[in-house]
Amino acid sequence: MFDRLLKRLLQGEFICEVSDESGFRYLQDPENAAQVDEFLTRLDYRLSGTQNQLAFFAAYRNIDSSARSDIRKVFQQFRVELQPVVEWLDMMMSCLNQDAALSPGDTLSFSGLLQVIEQNQALADRLQTFAKFKDFTSGDDSVKGRLEKLLHTLCKWGYLNLANRDTLIYQVTGKLDYFYQALQFIQEHEQIPTEQGETDAIQESLF
Amino acid sequence: MSQSQQGLERLFKALANHSELIAEAYFTGVVYKDSQNQRTLNQLKQLKVLVNHNADGYRIAGRLTQFIDSALSSDRVRRLDTDLAGWIETLEQQISLYQDAYDETRLDDCDNYFAEIERLVFDLSDTLEENTRYLLMLVNSRFANVRTLAEKQKQNAFYISRLEKLVNAITALQPEFLLELVEDQPLVYELLDHQLIRLLPIYQQRLQDILDKLKVFLFELRQIEARAQLVQGFAYFLQQNQNYQPQDWSERDSIPEHWNQIKPLALFAYADPLDHALEEDLVEIAQKIRFDTETLLAKQKQRGLNAVSLNTPDKITLDLPLYRKQLRVYFDRVLKNEGRAISAVAFQQAFVDDIEASIWLSCVLNEWLRRQQRNKRLQMELIQADDGQRFSGNKKVRDIMLQFRGAEH
Repeated sequence: MFDRLLKRLLQGEFICEVSDESGFRYLQDPENAAQVDEFLTRLDYRLSGTQNQLAFFAAYRNIDSSARSDIRKVFQQFRVELQPVVEWLDMMMSCLNQDAALSPGDTLSFSGLLQVIEQNQALADRLQTFAKFKDFTSGDDSVKGRLEKLLHTLCKWGYLNLANRDTLIYQVTGKLDYFYQALQFIQEHEQIPTEQGETDAIQESLF
Repeated sequence: MSQSQQGLERLFKALANHSELIAEAYFTGVVYKDSQNQRTLNQLKQLKVLVNHNADGYRIAGRLTQFIDSALSSDRVRRLDTDLAGWIETLEQQISLYQDAYDETRLDDCDNYFAEIERLVFDLSDTLEENTRYLLMLVNSRFANVRTLAEKQKQNAFYISRLEKLVNAITALQPEFLLELVEDQPLVYELLDHQLIRLLPIYQQRLQDILDKLKVFLFELRQIEARAQLVQGFAYFLQQNQNYQPQDWSERDSIPEHWNQIKPLALFAYADPLDHALEEDLVEIAQKIRFDTETLLAKQKQRGLNAVSLNTPDKITLDLPLYRKQLRVYFDRVLKNEGRAISAVAFQQAFVDDIEASIWLSCVLNEWLRRQQRNKRLQMELIQADDGQRFSGNKKVRDIMLQFRGAEH
């Protein structure tokens, strides 16, 4: 378990209950976590976790110029992922008709989503807009093809895990906890207006 | 200067610097991109001055058009005082005026009415798009999220009135009637069909979604998760600001903790067979390979090169070419007959059959030059042909006489 987990951590993976249940339980034990951290320390790394401790990952112990260069690459990838992942989360709330955003552990059924989107032109329209993102362009223009591409890319980025290949059930991974943390940070520090109250009066005059 | 002040200044500068292009878009309805204005058009689109008209064209955003109309006291201003249903009535009137002008071949009037129709269609399309999208976002993220009944009543009235106006507008459009009205005018037909009628199902679906939500929560106090609000608010912000990029937080002195992640270590695409730690894994993989695979059944080519042996390899004596054997015989004869000149051509005629005389002489000359360096007693005399061409710079040799001189005592 120890060596397998270390290899995954060194490959930059997030270890969560969905992606690796036994590994996640192993790291939840403080003694095991300390051993892993001790080993990582030899490489000048350390074991880190998301804000709600829903996933573990390896981080730099000291941020020197080399580490900074690597972190820059991680951040560039986050920039690529930001817009499509937010759009996906928002769209899933509409598809599932729920007031809560997706959380790690939630399940998504491919056939269920397909059925909802095919019966709703506005959602099909939203799905089509993913084609503007480089990683979501699909050779298949059907709703099914686009949905497959969307879920496949999110699996590749580590936000989803294909839990059942036969029934195409996907599960949201702990990496989403990290994404929410980053989103909250940006919203607070860049003063992104996510509350619409101030503009209500302006909009009212348009009707 | 604050960020918003800088943004305002940038907007005003763009409006001033590209006023001609904006005026063209306002008066002609659309501007098309070319190699020179592409960058400017993109900038104006980012600033929401222009919006996409089609694949290659841009038109002025609806709200800016309304502002310009108002500033120029255009006749179109009256539409802003009425509701959306009133706009559609105006659209029908404009179509009627266009048709009259078309029938009476008043071309200038035709162009003017068409421009009016075009602007009305774009205004309607923009307004429906923005209002349905915005109302859906409000319903999804804020509706029923109140604490008191008084607030709830106020909110219900707000949403119902807005929904009512949108429903009225879309109902008043009557797509079949409008298209039937302009079926003889292909330009107007295409405009209405592409820019308005085909988009109606999307607006209707959004209204249906809004209605579904209202049905559930009209009389309920609803709690929306804070994180869902964050996602929905961010999604709306990104839709409005498609070129937004977060600040480069990786360049800050203190990098936020969640972005402190290691770069994945590079992995080899193949195993190192000399690594003993991998021996068992490699054996396991090798055992899984089927014996009857095509690769294994294919005959392997024998490699004859680079075979390594500790035995001393056998010496192989290569045969001399025939002409060299004949040269050797000729030179041996010269060397044996000391003091006697022997003709190369005479030797060739007597003992050499398959080499022409001229080539034979050339071989003899070459061999003499090679041997002469270590044996100065080997003398040569060229027998030249008298071809009558004097002072040509060339010598024509018809024979070579070789002689081995005896040692001088």
